[in-house]
Amino acid sequence: MLRATGVSKSFGGERVFDDLSVEVDSGEVLGVIGPSGVGKTTLLRTLALSLEPDAGTVALGGTDAWAAEEADRLALRRRVGMVFQEASLFDASVGRNVEYGLRVRSPWADRIAASLGLTGTPDAVRESLAVVGLTEKANQHADSLSGGEAQRVSFARALAYDPDVLLLDEPTSDLDPRNTAVIEEAIEEARARGIGVVVATHDMHQAERVADRVAVLLDDGITEVGPTEVIFENPSDERTRKFISGELVY
Amino acid sequence: MPIEPVAQLLSVALDSSVLLGGSGPLDLPFREGYVWSIIYVSLYVSLTAVTLSTLFSVPVAVLLGFAEFPGKGFVKSVINTGMGFPSVVVGLVVLFAVSNQGPLGALELIFTTEAMIMSQFVLATPPITAITLASVSGVDDGVRDAARALGGTRLDTALVVLKEARYGIATAILAGFGRAISEVGSVLIVGGNITSADGISKTRTLTTAIQLEARQGQYGTAMILGAVLVALVLTVNAVVVHFGDSGVTR
Repeated sequence: MLRATGVSKSFGGERVFDDLSVEVDSGEVLGVIGPSGVGKTTLLRTLALSLEPDAGTVALGGTDAWAAEEADRLALRRRVGMVFQEASLFDASVGRNVEYGLRVRSPWADRIAASLGLTGTPDAVRESLAVVGLTEKANQHADSLSGGEAQRVSFARALAYDPDVLLLDEPTSDLDPRNTAVIEEAIEEARARGIGVVVATHDMHQAERVADRVAVLLDDGITEVGPTEVIFENPSDERTRKFISGELVY
Repeated sequence: MPIEPVAQLLSVALDSSVLLGGSGPLDLPFREGYVWSIIYVSLYVSLTAVTLSTLFSVPVAVLLGFAEFPGKGFVKSVINTGMGFPSVVVGLVVLFAVSNQGPLGALELIFTTEAMIMSQFVLATPPITAITLASVSGVDDGVRDAARALGGTRLDTALVVLKEARYGIATAILAGFGRAISEVGSVLIVGGNITSADGISKTRTLTTAIQLEARQGQYGTAMILGAVLVALVLTVNAVVVHFGDSGVTR
């Protein structure tokens, strides 16, 4: 489904990662674990087609995004959803936030009608809010939400337009256990819908709970990718083993 | 101020027929329609100049806010410096431009409201651009990232940023309007403070009328016109704030 092959990325001459390959299939949850500052966010932004890699390819459904025309790349980008560590909701109601992805994909006439309040709340918005348990908050302003609720809305916002791939960057790092559980259930729901999910997290327990496969990203790139139980119980790479066991301290 | 003139002023302020040019208890030099005509010229010139300036400044500020290029800091400094342009210098430059020998001499704009609009445009543009730029730059990067990650184009992202920055932009427009409507020096130079033979304003504004009345020792009349000017500014501010607040659903 979404495949990065041999991608490298640097900022101002400083290498973030080099010759890195990773892929996620439909209905699969890939956990990307690694310490903070190792490049997980940059990797996810590269997978989201927001950042062009310095080298390598990122292909969605077999189409190399950066070899495609800009309009085609926009179409590919619109098949990917991303949830950031910070919810960053818009200054609008919860419903309007969740509707945003649908709106930008609509013809301008429909967008103007929606802006003027001439159309009702789309079913996809209600369904996405139901997945994160916030249907009753649709008409509240985003500012009135708690941090956990805001992150759940952020998840619903990315789910509403039914992406092929969902990228989650530390989605629960600032959340309490209850909101974390809701997000993890929503990840399960996304997988059940056939969406490929990539979860970047420094919480190894979370990766163990939600991921089908795990990629371990350390300073020198991905040291190992494999089924979750193999990575956590019988890793083949020594650095992976040390990181999992806590011997490799950053 | 002695008590008697103050009492006279109060009685005049309470009698709108005097203010608006009708016969009243005091013999003030307001001909029929005179006050309305200078209010009209003041509003026509200032609102037109600010509207044109807004149409120019907001897109420029958004482009500057989004773009990264060498010398961006210098451009910002130039815009900020423009907020302190002496209005008489602006008036002189516009006078030169529209005079018979100037580049716009063929348009015969000297001592017209169009020339006054030009000078107020020049004066209002720097504050509107600078404050809008500051507001746009102040929008959280996470909001831009979210808009883009949710499938927004550059235009969609710019619209989101504009919406997030709308209060700052409203403040920018009010600041530009304040600078324009309170302007004396340049409109006096390029407009000439002219009334027709029947006393109706051609290029006389509230500010230039106040300046004229004060110079002739008609302090009471000047004070009344000053009160009208303050009331106008308050009204415009109230309208903008009202519409700004009503656009938010909380």
